[in-house]
Amino acid sequence: MLRRAFLKTTPLLGFLASCGKSAKIRLALDWKPEPEFGGFYAAPFDKHSLEVEILPGGAGTPTVQMIGAGSAEFGIVAGDELVVARSKGNNVVALFAVYQDSPLGIMAHASRNLSSIGDVFKGGAVALQQGLPFAALLERKYGFGRVRVVPSPNGDITAFLNDEMFAQQCYITSEPLAARKKGVAVKTFPVSDTGFDPYSTVLATSDDTLRKNPAMVKSMVAAVREGWRAYLDDPKPVNEKMHQMNPSMDADTFAEVAEVQKPFIEGAPNTELGAMTKPRWDTLIGQLKDLGYIPAAIPAEECFRLL
Amino acid sequence: MKTLRAILPPLIPFVAITATMEFLVREGFIRSYLLPAPSAVFLAIWNNGSELAQAMLKTSAAALIGFALSTLTGIAAAVLLSSSRWVQKAFYPYAVFFQTVPVIAIAPLLVIWFGYGMQTVIASAFVVSIFPVIANTLSGILSTDPALRDLFRLYGATPSMTLFKLRFPAALPQIFTGLRVAAGLAVIGAIVGEFIGGGGLGSVVDIARTQQRVDKVFAAVLLASLLGLALFGLINLISRITLHSWHASEQ
Repeated sequence: MLRRAFLKTTPLLGFLASCGKSAKIRLALDWKPEPEFGGFYAAPFDKHSLEVEILPGGAGTPTVQMIGAGSAEFGIVAGDELVVARSKGNNVVALFAVYQDSPLGIMAHASRNLSSIGDVFKGGAVALQQGLPFAALLERKYGFGRVRVVPSPNGDITAFLNDEMFAQQCYITSEPLAARKKGVAVKTFPVSDTGFDPYSTVLATSDDTLRKNPAMVKSMVAAVREGWRAYLDDPKPVNEKMHQMNPSMDADTFAEVAEVQKPFIEGAPNTELGAMTKPRWDTLIGQLKDLGYIPAAIPAEECFRLL
Repeated sequence: MKTLRAILPPLIPFVAITATMEFLVREGFIRSYLLPAPSAVFLAIWNNGSELAQAMLKTSAAALIGFALSTLTGIAAAVLLSSSRWVQKAFYPYAVFFQTVPVIAIAPLLVIWFGYGMQTVIASAFVVSIFPVIANTLSGILSTDPALRDLFRLYGATPSMTLFKLRFPAALPQIFTGLRVAAGLAVIGAIVGEFIGGGGLGSVVDIARTQQRVDKVFAAVLLASLLGLALFGLINLISRITLHSWHASEQ
């Protein structure tokens, strides 16, 4: 009862709050400005009469919760994260999947001559962000009995460089390049080889925003798609801009990563940028249910919207 | 009756806040994926009992060892610093370094120096908790009543006698103040260390956050604060035993 009364007054409160302030749209990133987000920084928002503020993030920026709480209209999420959020009643919806294939992988020293991802779990240490579904999947598949699992150093490779028996989770498009640059030969094993391949770096918004402002969301997606096209064609100007915001990655690496990530973004031939399909979401939902991340399957068609 | 009167004042705000939060979440004013209902937090503690108990044990051990190390080295350092004005001028600024060092920034380095595991967690707890021990012990030792100091000198007491029979005991109330602050900080330091070095409640928080299990995050946070509270209580107890016969603060 009380709740209903409150909900009735919410639109009014929203209206009052929007008075006198320009409708700036916030896009929350879950990491620092890096080529992974190149297309967002390249997007011609002005052309679509959108005023977008891109909020850089860091390790563990809770973008799904930010979208749910309304502290950002748009955010970058991972497909698996989105499914878990929806199953908890945080209704976030995917609009544009930048990475068609998950760039997550495990990197190990090439000198160990490991032949498959399972070998990584036969000894030494593996740094993983435990709690992520892929880590649970790897544990189920290979067991962590013989390996020492330590927290993920979030992109830092110092421990890796110092210890031959140290393997760590990585973005295939990022850390291995940094390690090679330091003179260490690495071998990477894509997690997608195990069959777990969620859409990654996904632009998402809330069901609410999509319902209330479909035209704005549509222009946002159009601008983002144009941005990614432009970035894939010529990443240089945007890389320079991002390098200024994030000097911790050098200019050469920006160029290299932009090149290496191309196949992940372009996907299979004739795939439209950002595309998503129901079967892919269905597979993911099935895997998450199987791993116990969600209590019951949720409808795949509600997870994404193509505009 | 006396215990009731002691428990009641903190109990009232606890019940009031818990009930209000429960109401706000149940009625949908606050979404449960942003802030869990207190009942969900207690349920999470109940359902993950053994996992949380083991984690809490690990965190307690690391925090206690870190705290003990900072107590011993902190007091020793303060005694050294108090020995001469020159030593104090030369080294005190470096002690301040421990207070200002952002542990979250150096924690990744701790892992590289000490490796993954408990050593890193202990080091982190130590680094953040040593400064209040040094600062309070030093200021306690330096603020001995001048009249008593003169009396000791008059009777020909040696410097070490003056230190152990007068200056150190007189500094105890301030030392305990430092230890109370350090106890809470040691728990924070241990949790931060565990984010990076692994293990304990820090890992539970990190993993639960990744899984969007806010109820479990809050369960672990609640246990961490209980741990801080227990350490604080322990110091209070020792302080009472040591001081109650002669110091106004514990009578």
